[in-house]
Amino acid sequence: MLSRLKRLLRALERDDVRSISRRYFISNGFDGALTSVGVAVGSYLSGVPDGLVVFKIGTGAAIGLGTSGVWSVWEIERAEKRAELKRIERAMLTDLDETQIERQKAGARQVNALMSGIGPVIGVVLPMLPFLLEGTLLGLRDATLVSIGVAVSILFVFGAYLADISEQNWIVAGARMGLAGIVVALLNLVLPG
Amino acid sequence: MLNVRRLVLDLLKPHDPDVVTFAESVAGCEGVAGVNVVLMETDKEVQNVKMTIEGDSVPVDTVHDAVEDLGGTVHSIDEVVCGEVIVEESKTPQD
Repeated sequence: MLSRLKRLLRALERDDVRSISRRYFISNGFDGALTSVGVAVGSYLSGVPDGLVVFKIGTGAAIGLGTSGVWSVWEIERAEKRAELKRIERAMLTDLDETQIERQKAGARQVNALMSGIGPVIGVVLPMLPFLLEGTLLGLRDATLVSIGVAVSILFVFGAYLADISEQNWIVAGARMGLAGIVVALLNLVLPG
Repeated sequence: MLNVRRLVLDLLKPHDPDVVTFAESVAGCEGVAGVNVVLMETDKEVQNVKMTIEGDSVPVDTVHDAVEDLGGTVHSIDEVVCGEVIVEESKTPQD
């Protein structure tokens, strides 16, 4: 267990692993945050009676998206990293099984899959938390609005973070990402169903 | 059996791990006092390097294992020096 943790931490020190993990984390976190806006607005408009039900629906979505994130990336990276290894093996005319290269690629794949799964869980669960306060501190309408606010804030943070690593204006980049949450909320309002 | 004092290897390695990792890994073997790695040729996927290893008792098999664990292969052993003193290659008229 400890050695596996060490391997994951070592993998995280590598720039290429961090870069790919970051993409999966942000991309799936973005999906999760927008899904949570859809769940929140859709639940409110369809007359779901209490916040706990909305939270449970959101948790279901988080489990689905989180599993999807881990599973799909696990398989994608298994194929990609296997292809990379085969390419090197052909050039080296040797078998690279059970070498440090293979272990590094396995560690990288685990980190990629983990980050891919964490992204949507954060993106969905945090915006669903205000619904737990429904009936005590907030009404259902207020919980929905706060939930949208949390989702938009998460999207803003994602955008600001991406701007930070790419040396762009973090306010503009954050606002551009956050806008997606508002657009999804408005689409839910205007589209039938 | 006499100690190997110097070993010069012709290696083929992938670009990653880099030469620093190779040098560090072999230098970490017990009995190795120092390592020199020179890049001889670089290709799209692989690099050809010359690795010179010196020490009081260079563990040849352990060095081989360390190189192979990093994904490298030993093409050839280009020089070995054994014994009490390090004997340099001597020039002959043919040279």
